[in-house]
Amino acid sequence: MRCVGRNKWNALRRMERCNALRLLHPTSLFVSLCAMLISATAMAGVTQSVDEQTDLASWKMHDGNFELELTQLLPDQTRAFFLARGFSKEIANAIATACIMQTIGRNSAEQGVPGSIDVDLKQWRMLHDGAESPIKLKEQWDSEWSATEVSDAARLAFRWATFPTQQNFAHGDYGWGMSSFGLVPGERFDLKVVWSAAGVQKESWIRGIQCAEER
Amino acid sequence: MRQVTIQSMLLLLLSWSAAAFSGQLLTPYKGAQPAPDFELVDVDGDKHRLSDYRGKPLIINFWATWCPPCREEMPSMNRAWHKVKDDVSMLAINVGEDEDTIFIFSADYPIDFPVLLDQSGDVIKQWPVKGLPTTFVLDREGNIHYTAVGAREWDDDALLEIVKGL
Repeated sequence: MRCVGRNKWNALRRMERCNALRLLHPTSLFVSLCAMLISATAMAGVTQSVDEQTDLASWKMHDGNFELELTQLLPDQTRAFFLARGFSKEIANAIATACIMQTIGRNSAEQGVPGSIDVDLKQWRMLHDGAESPIKLKEQWDSEWSATEVSDAARLAFRWATFPTQQNFAHGDYGWGMSSFGLVPGERFDLKVVWSAAGVQKESWIRGIQCAEER
Repeated sequence: MRQVTIQSMLLLLLSWSAAAFSGQLLTPYKGAQPAPDFELVDVDGDKHRLSDYRGKPLIINFWATWCPPCREEMPSMNRAWHKVKDDVSMLAINVGEDEDTIFIFSADYPIDFPVLLDQSGDVIKQWPVKGLPTTFVLDREGNIHYTAVGAREWDDDALLEIVKGL
């Protein structure tokens, strides 16, 4: 396949080379070293941050070799995504207002460290208003839609755009996708994350996650 | 003198980091199993059968244009293709989208190796894929040797040496 945009592509490659040279400057290297050391000391626990540009919050958990990051998605972002994939307005809106988070899971083990990370979302629990419940899985969404409501193409997009219910991460692997918590915009909840590292089950709580509000 | 020492330390650290990262590239697949065959058309309408690609190592990438890590790794895949196209074949299998969508995508992310269309999702169902992107590395006989879940820097020389050796 021959594509347009070659000039832009070449310009991008030149930029990449220049950026690489800048990174080799001793000052840049020293700053990178400090950043690596700081990130290494912040290995355990949960950190929360807010993106300055989007004003959306993220919660990042790092426990052993497992990293998990949840980032708010605006209902409008989610709505637009699923409308563009062929969902009706009603269903796109139902998904968009069900507390969708961009979710990234990663096995951060270094080479040679044995053991993979296994994640099964069926084991995760959320705590909201004092009640513990499972999170809403992609299979549950799919079973709610009749064949006439949602086309095969839209189902396919939903399936692959959402975080896998079960996933195995070898070292260096990471997976991403949307996960849904079934709460209305603005609600807060705690999430119990469960995973296995080298066959040993672990769990950790992420407290005070907030679903993005409508803007 | 002090600056030289700092520079040496930092370069040492950099080379250590590069070594550490170059190793975390591919995951050996359980016992090198035969890959499920398929026949798909590419964006130009030409048919491709997996079995036609025997004789060279093959990288197969399952992806979609709306998938952020797929977008992240596609430029390095294209660079890899230009580095090793005489020794290694590459296929990108798009899941669920049409030619027009891919054509628009390719304006910003040129892809010079074949992009096949799995619009129905029937092929991806046959492969051990849980999320996008997932990439498989096959040997010359069509057996899966390695997988990679999530984006990689595919033009990494260490990675490509591993692939060329299959």
